[in-house]
Amino acid sequence: MIKEKEWWPRLKTRLLFTGPTLFAFLTVMIVPFIYGIYLTFTNWDGIATTHTLVGFENYGKVFQDKVFWKSFGLTLKYVLFTVILVNSVAFLLAFGLTRGLKGQNIFRAGFFVPNLVGGIVLGLIWQFIFSNVLVFVGEKTGIPLFSTSWLADPQKAFWALVIVTIWQYAGYMMVIYIAGLMSVPNDVLEAASIDGANGWTKLRTMTLPLMVPSFIVCIFLTLQRGFMVYDVNLSLTKGGPFKSTEMVSMHVYEKAFLSRDYGLGQAEALVLFLLVAVITLLQVYFGKKMEVEA
Amino acid sequence: MKRLNWLSMTAMVVLMALVVSACGGNGGGNNAGTSNSSDGASTSGEAIKISLLNSKGEIQTQLEEAAKTFQEDNPNITLEIMAAPAGTSPFERASTLYASGNPPTMMMLDTGDVEKFKDRILDLSGEKWNADAVENATKLTTFDGKNYGFPLAIEGYGFIYNKAVLDEAVGGSFDPSTIKTRDDLENLFKQIEATGKKALIISPMDWSLGAHFLPLAYAGQDRDMAEVDKFIDSLKAGTEDLSGNAVLNGLLDTFDMMKNYNIDKKSPLAGVYERGPEVLGKGEVGIWFQGNWAWPQIHDFDTANGEYGFLPVPISNNPDDFGNQEISSAVSKRIILDKEKSTPEQQEAAKKFLNWLVYEEKGQDFLVNQASIIPAFKNITLPAADPLGQSIQYYIAEGKSQESMSTLPADHWAKLGASMQKYLGDAGDRATLIKEIEEYWTSVK
Repeated sequence: MIKEKEWWPRLKTRLLFTGPTLFAFLTVMIVPFIYGIYLTFTNWDGIATTHTLVGFENYGKVFQDKVFWKSFGLTLKYVLFTVILVNSVAFLLAFGLTRGLKGQNIFRAGFFVPNLVGGIVLGLIWQFIFSNVLVFVGEKTGIPLFSTSWLADPQKAFWALVIVTIWQYAGYMMVIYIAGLMSVPNDVLEAASIDGANGWTKLRTMTLPLMVPSFIVCIFLTLQRGFMVYDVNLSLTKGGPFKSTEMVSMHVYEKAFLSRDYGLGQAEALVLFLLVAVITLLQVYFGKKMEVEA
Repeated sequence: MKRLNWLSMTAMVVLMALVVSACGGNGGGNNAGTSNSSDGASTSGEAIKISLLNSKGEIQTQLEEAAKTFQEDNPNITLEIMAAPAGTSPFERASTLYASGNPPTMMMLDTGDVEKFKDRILDLSGEKWNADAVENATKLTTFDGKNYGFPLAIEGYGFIYNKAVLDEAVGGSFDPSTIKTRDDLENLFKQIEATGKKALIISPMDWSLGAHFLPLAYAGQDRDMAEVDKFIDSLKAGTEDLSGNAVLNGLLDTFDMMKNYNIDKKSPLAGVYERGPEVLGKGEVGIWFQGNWAWPQIHDFDTANGEYGFLPVPISNNPDDFGNQEISSAVSKRIILDKEKSTPEQQEAAKKFLNWLVYEEKGQDFLVNQASIIPAFKNITLPAADPLGQSIQYYIAEGKSQESMSTLPADHWAKLGASMQKYLGDAGDRATLIKEIEEYWTSVK
């Protein structure tokens, strides 16, 4: 809607509106990102006043770092389960809470609340639940599943992470699904009813295809959050027991700041960024193809 | 349109100016020594604001008190104590503070970290306290003949025992010097279990197993630290065959024995730090592997009338083997002074604080009585305030101390701590552990 024809007034008007945001975006996103890329070519340890350029050596090391790929594999497994489970739970909640249930607004708010709790606090609360409350319950009732802390066993600790993630995000995704469900035009559904479609057929052939945009958004969000998980990982299991639940973000962080290999850590972060970008872009691209018009 | 444009342009410029000045203000807090004078905060003497990054979480409140006392003595200096989050290494916190261009005036670091900072911190060789420091206290922070670190505390670790429980177990007054071998220790464990209590608790934190327990195997190689250094070098070179190493195997044999008597034997990795002082203090177990820093927490649960002490971790059945009668101890925390962002006034104020700790009665009282620190200075003659500190002091005075490994690589505790957890939880056998130790060392730069 820019009216000015000359390039200079045009630019001025543009800068007026986008300038501040552009400035902030450049300084806190683009410049650090580029500087970060520069650091991947150095052997900086994170504190020294000098560093030397080492070329692509760090990238070579990324591919030799077995622990990085192991934790990436673990993260993939975690992403797979959280994306499927968070979205299933969220959709079921949304579906159930748009049926005109009594007090459904209270339930909606209730399921959304965990998302408001910060990841660190949430992890600490659940750490207490898994290692104290459940163990106590297990000892009193004699249920062997709960008699020892879940966080002390690699397999169970992984599932503890998945459970907490579902609890945290299902409510948020539910809100998006509710919006999607509400936007499905009623006349289409009514027409289908008149044509004799039952509830299941309506859901499968009308509602779900019309909700594809909601699914694209929710799957994108859960994918991205799953890959980048750090806070819950840190406060719930600290990557333990014995590093068996260390997700890839945590590994990258520890490479840079604990092992004091900033260059390599940064290179791993960049590789991770590229992998996640490719995966999410593919997801959105193929998701878009499934969209239909009502 | 034109008029509106001009107006909003102005508004934007003002907004930008605000943003920029807000950023500037942030950094300004740090060099308040010079900039604060304009707001008329003080007329007599410049108001100086300094800060200290504290990485000993257990003395945070005591330090804050000490900062107040210090301020009473020096009204123009304000000392702010920043806490490093629990569970992160002070190095992480300090390096991020440097990266943000906002380092505190003083930072409390672990010994091994000081060297990394040496380009950015102040040479403290000229300070008077260097001459009063105990033997070797500044050796590890001295580079090219310049000492960069203030030795804050001597810390030691081993088996902490609850004397009330052990008295009951041995039927009389327990004498720690009777435990000289692994068999003696196992016998003691059996005696404790005979009274219906549990013998010991192993806290499964990676730092406890990786930074304290496992390094006993390195430090125990020889009485001479130079030989230990050679041993570490051969580990790095990959020329050491650990599976045949007597000290390491002896230590792991002791660990196997400990695993058998562990109160958490059923789920050895489930424990948390807080559980240790509770069960030890309440007398549910007789022994806990930990260090003298745990005193404040043990004190909260104390049922033994304050009677606690240390036992060495035996590595064999020969009482004369090195390590069987020695307690591991070393200067652990160092205070360094930033030279990049701090003004000369702030640096002087910080030096004053260090001197206050060493030479002023109130400072010494804080160190020894309030914070339960074992000072690394000969001129401080106050006896340690708590039984654990006294026990360490006793072992040092008797010459029965083993220098702790305080310059291990930064990720040693996390990586080999995880390997030790695996061994503790029976998820890996000894061959796996030894392989992981060897692999770790050959990967160290």
